[in-house]
Amino acid sequence: MKIGKIWNKLADPKTVPRLFAFCLGIILILGLFVPMALNPDQLYTRPAPQVQIDDGLPIAPYDRGGVVLKEPGIIKAQFPENSKELGMITGYMSPLAEWVSSISPYFGTSIYSSPGGLIDEVLYYTRGFDTILESSILMMAFIIASWLAINYTMDRRDIEKDLKKAANDSANVAREIKINDEKARAKQLRRDN
Amino acid sequence: MDFVTLGGNLLGTIPLGDIVLYITPLSLFLFIVLLVFTLLIAISKTETQVEATLMKLSNTNVKVGKKEFKQRRFLSVICGIASAGAMITGDLFNFTLFMALIGILNIGIVSAVKQTTVLNSAYQYGLIAMMCSLPLFGGASIILASTGTLSLAVLSQMPATPMVVFGAVLMLLGILGESGVAPFFASKAEMFRTPGSPFIVIIHLSSLFIIVRAVEILLLVLW
Repeated sequence: MKIGKIWNKLADPKTVPRLFAFCLGIILILGLFVPMALNPDQLYTRPAPQVQIDDGLPIAPYDRGGVVLKEPGIIKAQFPENSKELGMITGYMSPLAEWVSSISPYFGTSIYSSPGGLIDEVLYYTRGFDTILESSILMMAFIIASWLAINYTMDRRDIEKDLKKAANDSANVAREIKINDEKARAKQLRRDN
Repeated sequence: MDFVTLGGNLLGTIPLGDIVLYITPLSLFLFIVLLVFTLLIAISKTETQVEATLMKLSNTNVKVGKKEFKQRRFLSVICGIASAGAMITGDLFNFTLFMALIGILNIGIVSAVKQTTVLNSAYQYGLIAMMCSLPLFGGASIILASTGTLSLAVLSQMPATPMVVFGAVLMLLGILGESGVAPFFASKAEMFRTPGSPFIVIIHLSSLFIIVRAVEILLLVLW
């Protein structure tokens, strides 16, 4: 095929997502052959699997030690000089979470167990700017969707005409149903007699 | 590769916890140019297209309504600020987030136009932007898994393993799709064919600047 024809095909917006999906698929399949080597020196350290469960800790795989506002828990930052108070709220749990963990040994494996203050430290302290950006992406999506919804579906000028038409249509449908109903009933009555 | 080789001397950093924005002459220049352009957009009015009327001698003016004008101006100012932020960010994940923000704002700017062809191509672009979130964030997470860091200052000192190269290729594909470069240009190029010039231009400009910045980031990661 000539290159001009290929370019012409690419100029159709409809083909572009398909082409992109195709390229993405090929690269992901090639990725299966890339040797995977995880870095053991990860930023957010955690103990080896099953160690805490064997110890019988109530919030087992998420126990990171630390006393709230007194003693820092086990957490590492990329630039410790920028977050000096890091780890101070790692051990925090809400009163409800504390109560559940006191009566159940499986709190750490249940759906309502969050790693306590750890998420807060990651989300709002060391990587707070990312959280701001993430929520602003969501906010922009809501702004666009709600503006379109208000201006193109609710706040329409010809809404009265549409309403009248819809009311007429539904009245017509109701009348038809009623007629059919009566017909069927009459038929049934005749058959019974 | 180091900052100094690519962007000139390090003028300073803005520490925000683990995310450290850094300023070099190159990034500072891009940042200021984008902010000036955003300011120009914020105080400008939209153009009016003049079209010939079918079967008549008169012309028709294709205008942008006031409500739509306000919405578009707001979205394009945010888009300008987001792309300015992407110019000075010093964190890989931060950059992908800025990229995703720009992508959704680009769709938002043309979401209220009346031309069906433009809406159709914006829809196709939206499909690509949705698909792009996989290679963008996936690439960043693969780089994080193989190096243990997202900070560009640390990444630039690290040797590139095959996994880092794969992550960088994934990120590159995401950036190409989201900013509409060569084989994926059609859906984004069709989005410009509508009145409302200065606001439409920010779609184009943000992707141009993002590409420049993406090249710098990929060089920092890979070399």
